[in-house]
Amino acid sequence: MKFNHIYKLILCLALLSSFTEMQNSEKDSVITLLTNRTEFEVGNKVVLKFSSSNQNKPILYCSNSYGSTLIKPRYERGKLVYQLPENISTKIGVINWELLNTSKPLTGKLNITPIAKVATMETYIGPPSIESGGSDYSMLVVIPTDSLDNPVPTNTLVNVKNQFLDNEETHEIFTKNFVAFRIIHSPKKTGRMLVSSECLGTNSKEFTVNVSAAIPTNFYISVTRPHNYADGNQITTFSTSVIKDKSGNIVSDGTFVTFIIKNLKGNILKTVGLTIAGVATSKMIHPEYPDSWNVKAYVEGAAESNSISLNYNQVIQDFKVEFFDDNRKISVGPLQSFMQQLIPDGLHVKLNIYKDNAFVSTLTKTSFNGYVHFKLKPAIFEKGTYTFSIETAGLTKNIKNKKLW
Amino acid sequence: MKETSNKYLISALLLGLLFHGSAIFFTLEKTYDALIHLFFADHYANSWFEPWNYEWYTGFTVQSYPPLVHQSIGLLSYIGGLKFGMFSVALIAIVLFITGVYRFSLMMTSNKTVAGYAAILAVFSSSFVETLHIFGQLPSIIGVSVLMHALPEIYLWLKTGRKWYLATSLSLIAVTVTSHHVTPIFGMIFFIFPVIGMVIMDVSREQVNSMKEVTFKIFLGSFLKLFKRIVSFGLLSLVLIIGCIFPYWLNSKANPITQVPIPHGSRDNFLEITSSGLVFFLIPWGALLVLLPYIFYRYYSKRYLFFGLSITICTILGTGGTTPVPLKMLGETAFNILTLDRFTLWASILSLPLLGEFTYRFVEGDLKELIQSKFGAVYHRIIGGTLAGLFVFMVIFTMSLGYFRPSQPQKIKMLPIVNFLNQDDHDKWRFLTLGFGDQMAWLSAQTNAMTVDGNYHSARRLPELTTRPIERLENSKFQGVAGIGSLQQFLTTPEKYNLKYIFSNDKFYDPILYFSGWQRLRQLENGIMVWERLNIPPLPSILPKEDVATWLKIHWGIMPFLTVIIAFILNIQMLWVNMLKTRIKPLPDFLKFPISYNNFNKNILRITHVWSIFLALAVFYGIYLFYLKNDSQRSPENAIFAYYNALDFKEFEKAHRLIDPTSKITIAQYMLEISVTDGLLSSYAKMDSIGTHITKYNDSTVSAKVTTQWITPLEKIEKIDFKLLSKIKGKWYLQADDLNNDLPPDQLYSNNVTKYFNQGRRRITTEQTHHEDILKQPVLEVISAKLVKFDGSYAIIGEVQNIDNVPADVILKGTLYNDDNKQLASYNAKYHVKHKLMPKESSSFRINFEGIAWSKTQDSIPDTFNPDEFTPVEFEEQPTKFNLQVAGNVSGSDLYKNVVLSDINFNKDVLNGKLFNSGVQEITIPQLLITYYDENKNMVWVDHLFVKEGVRQERKQDFTYQILNHGPIKIINESMKNIFVNGLPNENISNKIIPNRIKNHTNSELQAIENPYFSYIKIEINTYIGSPF
Repeated sequence: MKFNHIYKLILCLALLSSFTEMQNSEKDSVITLLTNRTEFEVGNKVVLKFSSSNQNKPILYCSNSYGSTLIKPRYERGKLVYQLPENISTKIGVINWELLNTSKPLTGKLNITPIAKVATMETYIGPPSIESGGSDYSMLVVIPTDSLDNPVPTNTLVNVKNQFLDNEETHEIFTKNFVAFRIIHSPKKTGRMLVSSECLGTNSKEFTVNVSAAIPTNFYISVTRPHNYADGNQITTFSTSVIKDKSGNIVSDGTFVTFIIKNLKGNILKTVGLTIAGVATSKMIHPEYPDSWNVKAYVEGAAESNSISLNYNQVIQDFKVEFFDDNRKISVGPLQSFMQQLIPDGLHVKLNIYKDNAFVSTLTKTSFNGYVHFKLKPAIFEKGTYTFSIETAGLTKNIKNKKLW
Repeated sequence: MKETSNKYLISALLLGLLFHGSAIFFTLEKTYDALIHLFFADHYANSWFEPWNYEWYTGFTVQSYPPLVHQSIGLLSYIGGLKFGMFSVALIAIVLFITGVYRFSLMMTSNKTVAGYAAILAVFSSSFVETLHIFGQLPSIIGVSVLMHALPEIYLWLKTGRKWYLATSLSLIAVTVTSHHVTPIFGMIFFIFPVIGMVIMDVSREQVNSMKEVTFKIFLGSFLKLFKRIVSFGLLSLVLIIGCIFPYWLNSKANPITQVPIPHGSRDNFLEITSSGLVFFLIPWGALLVLLPYIFYRYYSKRYLFFGLSITICTILGTGGTTPVPLKMLGETAFNILTLDRFTLWASILSLPLLGEFTYRFVEGDLKELIQSKFGAVYHRIIGGTLAGLFVFMVIFTMSLGYFRPSQPQKIKMLPIVNFLNQDDHDKWRFLTLGFGDQMAWLSAQTNAMTVDGNYHSARRLPELTTRPIERLENSKFQGVAGIGSLQQFLTTPEKYNLKYIFSNDKFYDPILYFSGWQRLRQLENGIMVWERLNIPPLPSILPKEDVATWLKIHWGIMPFLTVIIAFILNIQMLWVNMLKTRIKPLPDFLKFPISYNNFNKNILRITHVWSIFLALAVFYGIYLFYLKNDSQRSPENAIFAYYNALDFKEFEKAHRLIDPTSKITIAQYMLEISVTDGLLSSYAKMDSIGTHITKYNDSTVSAKVTTQWITPLEKIEKIDFKLLSKIKGKWYLQADDLNNDLPPDQLYSNNVTKYFNQGRRRITTEQTHHEDILKQPVLEVISAKLVKFDGSYAIIGEVQNIDNVPADVILKGTLYNDDNKQLASYNAKYHVKHKLMPKESSSFRINFEGIAWSKTQDSIPDTFNPDEFTPVEFEEQPTKFNLQVAGNVSGSDLYKNVVLSDINFNKDVLNGKLFNSGVQEITIPQLLITYYDENKNMVWVDHLFVKEGVRQERKQDFTYQILNHGPIKIINESMKNIFVNGLPNENISNKIIPNRIKNHTNSELQAIENPYFSYIKIEINTYIGSPF
């Protein structure tokens, strides 16, 4: 049974294949290309004509870099006419074509050439800000294209125009591989550079490249202060000379300058300033004790200033300490400043408390109307004999063996 | 016999619709859950058949929750919007619940009047009020209501064996399943099994003359007789439970809940955490508590025996962590996944028929007669009034709970946020909300933008979330260390999640945002602050999703409504017959077992009395304890506690009242003194705990050492204060503290600053930004970088400088590799860098490699909160190389640099210093970056210190820093080869801009220290300005 079926199937297939053979054996008509142009300017109609001996209408396959398509012919006075659609004929480049449904396929190549007419200028520039001095640069890239968005022919002239300060100049560059470009090196001065380009009478829009200052060079610092006493209240102001780069440009606003202060103890204090028009100013509060400062300013890794030194003198010569209320209330003052005026509020007074030669704790208070009052809470400081040392404005007073009740 | 309408049921329905129907408009949107359901509804309204939702948790499937309620809201939203849908469904739920209680009670008591009473009381049952108006659990309510509708049908099927009843009961079970998955599963145990038991009892009862004669043998016989029906019903409902929401079960299997359990109040010990006890025990039980003896007595009668067991289990499970019993009954896993409040809800619902019965007997039955004969009519009226009063009080109390103790932040106007997300392609990035509460779901429902957060924690997928016991990132400050820790990961490496915008409704999070490198964009009209992070890539246009088979999608989209339609068709006929009384229907079987109410058990009355007195005593004792604890001036401890609490909640008037009146500080003066202090501690801290150690000096004076723990978004702070208290006229007062008298030298002064403005797009257009409007990324240079190992954890440290001419926002991303160039870990710099650098400014940095905290050992999660907590990555292999990617972006904000290090002193390993604010803005949180160097001035470590107090203009602020005294630090790799700035090699950039860099320029100006491991330090200062201008 099974074999029977297979035989029948084979027989059927044999029969069918004999029919196809018959179809193929039908004779081809002779088709020849009549159009001998292979170069078309973009935007023109592209028509391929073929002579044909019979009524067959084979399909034309054509492809360019954008894709492929099939075209049906018109039959005009014994000729096959193939008109390429616009999406093929408006792109420059090579079109490959092939006539299908023939035993010996006809193939060929067409070249769509660009027109030297510019409709739009595609322009890029970057980076939009560069550093002066010549080593940094920005790059302008121009792609002139025609109305069909095709690039113009190679070696089309593009004029690059730029303006910087009093200087306006034009440079000629040529397109290659669709693109024209120019590297614009930074000038020595800072400022705003305007760049545009022109090609075959069409101009691009205006582009801007900001040229900013290069890294700063060494500078000087100076100091102003209302007086030279260490009152812990007034403010000393440091400022730099105008900081410039090596070409004499003022550094950009906001440049960070660190003022490092080394005091008598060898500790490092710090204040910072940001430049405006090249000058950085920074403030520092006066120390609370006599001190001598060595100040130097830095722009990290790039520049530094001279070093200046300044002294702060003792502001309080002496002060009184009094005890009340079972010695639990300690009054320090009057604290008198350099003209015997009461010291401005807020001077720190430190009370170190010792019991049996062992440190117990430190109380710190700020002065008010020239005095500081300490209260020793009985819950914290039990009855007994204590030793106190009081520090303020760089002075220290020791009071030994006071009994608290 | 012509049936009459049940006027009690009709009044219950009218009352319920009037009361709840008008109240939901003021409560439902403020509930915990309602807005989540709204969000789900919005999902179905937009894509009915697509279960994948991209908006939450970087994508999750809505097949993780039964869809009926959501789909109903979604369907109704086509008519009048989402909220219309939600309120309509809520109204339906109310009707279903009341009728459900009626039918359930009718089945239980066989008495229409009793059932009517139960229905009316159910309207005002505090558990229902709470579930609807405080929790907003619509699916749960609908589920249990439909289940109650199913119970009589189940009874009739088992009793009569008519297939019609099997169909109706199963159709209702199906609806229950599609609206809530937990309800039918536990409903089987707590509702359906007792009904089965009752049917068997009734069948047994029919064989004998009285209930007393029903023996176990007869019971067993009846059971075997009904066995087929029971099993067929059981199996078929099992098929429905699985089949109706099959995609849900499939999803649960594919994505099992493997997350760390999220703490829930219902698992607390109610005696310890009284707020949980109130919400999850006292309120749901409400007035029923008084009737507990009656309820248990009745439910342990023979017919209801199985209900007795069921309500006992529910009651016990509902007590949460108060006793260890629920934990033992459920086992660790189930205990930690389930929210136990639902057991109390079911227990209270089970009690409703008996509440109706009790009320009936009290109002017009044998109990009335008993009380009147025993105690007189006046007593009966007083008791009635008391019970009614208690009932009314519980309802009002429950309804007003949301008003007095709002569970949600103030209602936020979403429109400005929605508009913000829609403009300028802002929805191409993910966003995050902070301090929105459950309203974040409402925001998500209104926008297409996506968030990394979400409000349905069972669906979370990111390990950063599932490994933490946190519900949402959004309210992470309430979730302790785990919350802030999880949030920190998202804030530090937001590019991983394309997270660019944060909408902050809570000032608390501002410091952590700032110090993690975020910047303020602007404040929207509704007061929400928008924060952004630079250098975040937009979301890809194709996002990953877990797809499911098409038939599952269709099943999910069609099945829920199909169950409703079938149930409707099957049950509607009965409903019409019942309602319109079109034809006389045979009495349903359960009405054949009426109970005669003529002999109220005297013992029960007695026990109820005793029990009520006990309850009353307990309540009064609780109130007394509450009074003792809260009378602020009763003891020095109370005074201190009240004072710090008042400060914590910024109730300065209350704090002032606790200050010694003899010190004559006016409230105006006190407010002035308080208002001048700003900083991490006074503006961003939440008190965590307070401990007082009292030293008594005499009867009227004590001194107290107050140790307070404060939680700030950045770190945990411990503060020790010494306070003196005195007793004046029997009340304790605190002595006022001293003030800092610092007086700045200038009254008015000026300061010139450079300000920047980035236009963004110069032309108003919906196109992409023009290329000429794209700013160049500022050029940064990494001056040094090295991989070090300290204390067992790895870090990349170094120094970065902005060598451009514009201010830069700096993002540092470090990646560690082993010898085989296998990537081991990647993380960003968090606190240890100045994220904003002016031109030529440099900053030390340190990149820590944090792992997903506690992902390994779930049980070692610390109980105490510590935002500083750091979990280093566990490396399986040794990191030996590193890669550093630095990105700069132009930024014009947070560029305040006017802070001065004005004095330092060393006292052994303690550095005491002063900061001085020389500018015109108040510094809220100063941060010190301390760089450590070895004896050869090689950088070896970077540390930081947040100064607790702010610095006002032209004033000084002390700080104390403990110099690190352990080491040594091992330098593993110092190669600068793999460092890239804005994608370009670091070396090329540095050679171009600063070719002749003065190396180690300020090394001569390092601060020498005496320390066995380090020789020098450098201090840099970073500042957070709370309100910049």
